[in-house]
Amino acid sequence: MFSRISHIWRGLHAYRYLVWQLVRTNLIGSYKKSFIGMAWMFILPILAVAVWVVLHGAGIVDPGDTDDVPYPVYVLLSTSIWGFFIDLYRTVSQVMVNSGRLLVMKDFPKEVLVAEKVLEHLINFAIPLVVNIIVLIAFGIRFHWTALWFIPSLIPLLLLGLSIGMFIAVIRVVAVDFATIVDEGLKLVMFLTPIVYTSRIQVSWLAEVVTWNPLTYLIGFSRDLLTKGIYTDVGPYLICSGASLVIFFLVLIFFQMTSGRVLERLTIV
Amino acid sequence: MSVKQEEQQVLVSLRDVKKKFCKNLKYNMYYGILDVLRQSVGLPAGRGPLRAHEFYALQGINLDIYAGQIVGVVGANGSGKTTMMRLISGIYPVDGGTIETSGVRRTTSIFALNAGMNPVFTGLENIYLKGAMFGMSKAEIDRKLDFIIAFSELEEFLGSPVGNYSSGMKARLAYSVAIATEPDLFIIDEALAVGDTVFKAKCYEHLQAYVKEKPRAVIYVTNRISKVMAIADRLVVMSKGTIRKDTMDIQAGLEYYIDVCLADMDVNRKALRLKMIRHFEM
Repeated sequence: MFSRISHIWRGLHAYRYLVWQLVRTNLIGSYKKSFIGMAWMFILPILAVAVWVVLHGAGIVDPGDTDDVPYPVYVLLSTSIWGFFIDLYRTVSQVMVNSGRLLVMKDFPKEVLVAEKVLEHLINFAIPLVVNIIVLIAFGIRFHWTALWFIPSLIPLLLLGLSIGMFIAVIRVVAVDFATIVDEGLKLVMFLTPIVYTSRIQVSWLAEVVTWNPLTYLIGFSRDLLTKGIYTDVGPYLICSGASLVIFFLVLIFFQMTSGRVLERLTIV
Repeated sequence: MSVKQEEQQVLVSLRDVKKKFCKNLKYNMYYGILDVLRQSVGLPAGRGPLRAHEFYALQGINLDIYAGQIVGVVGANGSGKTTMMRLISGIYPVDGGTIETSGVRRTTSIFALNAGMNPVFTGLENIYLKGAMFGMSKAEIDRKLDFIIAFSELEEFLGSPVGNYSSGMKARLAYSVAIATEPDLFIIDEALAVGDTVFKAKCYEHLQAYVKEKPRAVIYVTNRISKVMAIADRLVVMSKGTIRKDTMDIQAGLEYYIDVCLADMDVNRKALRLKMIRHFEM
C-alpha cells in the first residue's frame, strides 16, 4: 500500500508542471473570451447571495430556528460547503471520460488530472469564500478565533468528495448506469442533509436519516465553527473524518490500479 | 535479421505481444466491470483467453527496435499499427507477452499533433502546455524555447491564438515541441500528414541526423508510400494484427504491402502505386 502511494506521489511530482499548466489553462481559458474575464468569479457568488436574501425576504422559505444566525447567512454558508463537496465530486467523477482523447495520446499518471481538478476546485472555492465572509460580516456575524480552523475542518469533506469522485471516474467508463445512479443519488442526499433547513427538524424519519448522514457532521461542524465559533458534534465529526481518510487511501489505490486498464474501454465510448 | 542490426543496441523488444478488444459495446462494458473487480482484489485482468465478442487486435508480435533506425510501419486500416504504438508508449497494458525497453529514458509519441493544444491560448502559451504534456519541466522548456521557435519557423505568430493558425502551422508548432523533448524513442503515428512539403522535408532530414547523434530510434507509422520511401531505413508491414514482413529492403517491403495486404485494391490504383515505388526519387 505504501509503495503504491509513494509511486503515485513520485508521478505527481514528476508531472507537477503539467498540473500547474492544466490548472492555469482551465481557469484562465474559460474566461478568455469574456470582456469582464475573471470578474465572473466574484459576480456569481454575489448573485447567489442575492437570490437567498430575496427568497427569505419574500417569506418563500422558512428554515426553522437557525440559532440567531441570519437565514441567508446560514444557507449561503451551508450551500457553499455543500458545493465544495458536490462540485469536487462532479468534476473528478468525469475526469476519465472528459479527458479520454488526452489519455490515449500520452502515458502519464492519471492522478495528474485528479490533482489538477482538486487545485482548480480549491481556487474556485476560495474566491466565493472571500465574498461569503464579507457577507457574513455585513449580516453582523462576529468571528471567534476558532473560525481559523474552518479551512482545515473542510479537509475530511474534500477527501470524501474526492474519494467518491475517483471511484465513479473509473466506474463511469464501464458502468454508466451505476454512475448515473450515484449522480442522482447525491442530488437527493443534499435534501437529506441540513443545508437549506436546520438539523432540528420535526419529521421523524428525516431526523433519523439526518442523524446517520455523515455529511450532517462534516458540513455542520465547519459551518458552526465559522458562524458561532463552537465545536458541535465533535465525536461524530472525528469518526466521519477518520473514515473519510481511510476511504480516500483505499480509493486512491483502486484508481491507480484500475484507471490504466479501463482506458482501453474509454476509446470505444 | 541483418548483421548490421545484430551489432546495434536494442531499445525496445516486443515478445509474443497480444492485445484484445471487444466488438460488442455492451460486452465491452461488462468485461470492463469484470476487469475492474479482478484488479480490485489484486488479480490480473485481461490476460486470459478470448471471451465472447472479443478479438485479437494484435497477436504474436515479435519486434526489436534498434538504435539508429527509422522504422516505417505500414498496414491497412485496422491492421493494429496504432494499437502497437500505444502498447509501446505504455498507454495500453498488454494482454499477453512482454515489452521491454533498454536505455530508453524518454519515449515521445505523437498520435494527433493538435491533441491538448488550447485554441484560445497563444502559440507561446501552447508551447509550455504541450511541453508539459510531453513531461517537460518549465526549466527544460525555457532552455529549448529558442530551438522550438526556430524549428517551427513561427516566431512572428507566437503571440496569436492557436485557434487562428492553419492546420499546417499547428502541426509545425506541435512537432517542434515534440522533437524538443529529445526522446530516445520517437513514435510518429500519421502525425505528419498535414503541414507544408518544405517543412516535412526538413523534419525528415532532421530525423535522419537525429537517430545518428545518439542511441535513438524513430518509429514512423503511415500509409503514405512516398513518406516511407523518403525516410525509413527499415519497414514493418502489418496486417490483421500480425507482422507480415520486417525488412531493410523498403522497396520490396512496400511491393509486398501493395500486392498482398491491399489485395482488394483496384487493379489500376495498385499498378499506379507499384509504379511509384519502382520509380521513386527523393
